[in-house]
Amino acid sequence: MINEELDPVIHVPARLRIVVTLAALPPGDDLSFTRLQDVIGLTPGNLITHLRKLDDAGYVTTEKNGSGVSARTAVALTNTGRAALDRYTTVLRQLLDSATPG
Amino acid sequence: MNEESGTTGGTDMDESPVLDPQGAAAVLQQARDRARRELAVRRPVLFLIWAVVVFVGYGAMWLSVRGQHPYRGPAWEALLLAFLLFVAAAGASANVVDRAASGVGGRSELQRGIFALALLAGFAALEIEKQALATAGASRPVTALFGQAIPLLVAGLVLLASCATASRLDWPRLAIGGWLLAVAAGGAWAGVVASLAVYALAGGVGIALMAAIEPQLRRS
Repeated sequence: MINEELDPVIHVPARLRIVVTLAALPPGDDLSFTRLQDVIGLTPGNLITHLRKLDDAGYVTTEKNGSGVSARTAVALTNTGRAALDRYTTVLRQLLDSATPG
Repeated sequence: MNEESGTTGGTDMDESPVLDPQGAAAVLQQARDRARRELAVRRPVLFLIWAVVVFVGYGAMWLSVRGQHPYRGPAWEALLLAFLLFVAAAGASANVVDRAASGVGGRSELQRGIFALALLAGFAALEIEKQALATAGASRPVTALFGQAIPLLVAGLVLLASCATASRLDWPRLAIGGWLLAVAAGGAWAGVVASLAVYALAGGVGIALMAAIEPQLRRS
């Protein structure tokens, strides 16, 4: 089955968008929670939920720095997350190729 | 698989249990395009800004010194124009970079700081060197020839050196850095007056050309 071959952690629109957005940054970079929310267009609650799932899978890390108004939560894609996205796109490409007639 | 399991309080509105490969490919592409649009610095805009500065700044200085016998140096109006253009371009560049880099932290943030510091240190060091040349007895045309190449020399060297820290080969940066160094070094052989015209044309047009071909080069 197609859905079993694709990584179920990433194979959800919101999480796919989060992982792809974070993968657009060079390795070693992170994105603030508020900017990620701005780019993805999710509510804070939704974003937290999806980030927790990605964190549980080891695909992202979240780190809170500072306190009060200067507090910043940094979200970064891990090497495992980057590799998972690579695998996901490879499988997806294979599925699309196999579905193409001819 | 039920993606709703494990979510909190029913707030998870974007869980889609069924996403076919075509749908997933579309989401992936849209997310990539959006991330590129939002998070990538619009370098063609930066190149265009600096192409104008180089072309107009050096061009104005050349217009004010051509035909001078003996050489006295650019008119203050031309120097003021170049300075104001430089300040305006620096502000506009910071704006373009901040727009993309807002919220981005980590290695890139550190690299941007070092890049700016390297530019400032390079300018300062070579300006001090120019004063040393004058103190050691170098004539006004000689110190002017050296001084007017400083912006291109520093920018070219820092751009080239910054390629070493990039996560992958950055052809546009490599090309423009090398070009600016070649223009600075080669243009000096045209003499103290004509070098300004060479810098304006070869430098300004070269950077503008890079603005046009940067997207293709970046993809290669």
